[in-house]
Amino acid sequence: MTSPTGEIYRIDWLPGTDVLHGTCHCGAEHSAEDPIEMWEWMLGHPEGHTQRDPNDPNDSRDRHAPHAPHAPQGNGS
Amino acid sequence: MPHMTAFARNQWYVAAYAHEVGRELLGRTVLGEPLVFYRTEDDGRPVALHDRCVHRRYPLSESGLDGDRIVCGYHGFTYDTTGACVYVPGQKRVPRTARVASYPVVEQDALIWVWIGDPALADPETIPRARHLDSPGWVTVSGMEPIDADYGLLVDNLLDLSHETYLHGGYIGTPEVAETPITTEVDEGAGIVRVSRHMDDAECPPFYAKSTGIKGRITRWQDIEYHAPCLYLLHSRIAPVGVVPEADGSDPNGFHTEITYAITPSADGKVYDFWMVSRDWATDDAEVTEFLRGNNHTVVMQDVDALNLLQKTLGTERTGYQELSINIDTGGLAARRILARLVEEGAKPMEKVQ
Repeated sequence: MTSPTGEIYRIDWLPGTDVLHGTCHCGAEHSAEDPIEMWEWMLGHPEGHTQRDPNDPNDSRDRHAPHAPHAPQGNGS
Repeated sequence: MPHMTAFARNQWYVAAYAHEVGRELLGRTVLGEPLVFYRTEDDGRPVALHDRCVHRRYPLSESGLDGDRIVCGYHGFTYDTTGACVYVPGQKRVPRTARVASYPVVEQDALIWVWIGDPALADPETIPRARHLDSPGWVTVSGMEPIDADYGLLVDNLLDLSHETYLHGGYIGTPEVAETPITTEVDEGAGIVRVSRHMDDAECPPFYAKSTGIKGRITRWQDIEYHAPCLYLLHSRIAPVGVVPEADGSDPNGFHTEITYAITPSADGKVYDFWMVSRDWATDDAEVTEFLRGNNHTVVMQDVDALNLLQKTLGTERTGYQELSINIDTGGLAARRILARLVEEGAKPMEKVQ
């Protein structure tokens, strides 16, 4: 055990859907339907973690810059 | 050879319940290290030493105590509480290398914690708390079951409670557990994974219906707090459907049960499953106590049987078998990753952070 750092990752499974909604400790958000893809995005911080401009209501970008596809991890062992 | 989760060294692990350690020697194996536990005569302090005599490796846990010293049951090599050999038979000189390792050990919350790793790094302040196990107003039933399975399988099991619906139906499982989405949080630095499942309108499983007397459907909250690698807390709240805590935070109409597990890897493919169920309601009702003890023991044995079977089955798989993870596994995947980090950190030399 080490001391808390305040770096909290959060993933909400949205009720009534198969969608996972992730929030990185940096505030970046991302949606996915696969927990492995979600953790890869989350742990890729800061890569691809861009934040929406809260003062710009027209800024509806995905808050997740696309990155190159990679081989799945975690479904094999 | 099925996948084995590596051990995370430089961590505290529960080795025993406090009531198990006394003036009889107790042997336990933690992270592959055989240990012997006992209490000192005067102050009742717990002692943990390596459980092999330096002479011919006889288990000291199968030996005897002379005061605070262990006398090996084979040839009489005698060790003090620090592990130093203070007597060998037939000669005056005790070889300088005659010493068994002693381990940092802490008694806290009715549990005996042992540090496996570099003793210089052991900080008791980092041991996670489970105060309900040793607090006035709480009653706890407990047990320990050894499982012939990789400890990672038990972590998987406990982090994904959707299995309650299928493996523990008729006890603690109802359809709503598997159907209700979860929220997962990871506190990276603290090594804590939190998984929450809040069911607003659920069937009341027999485990709670018979113990609380609630008739009809319930609001059921399950809030997991996994302090990797060893301590797992499940904060359970049930109440008649629609009954929520008061605005001031008090909750006089909710039933709170703390379900605690200590997940202690024993050896490759073996884990100690310490289980505890604590409640602050109906605390003087012996019938409820015995019901919860028996019912939860049955539930734990369902897990034990399932994990024994799973481990055997994995042992027949070719290397590189595939798994499939879905949304219910979000917390379990987080726990696996935290464990992998702790394993990595424990495998390299560390400097103590002041």
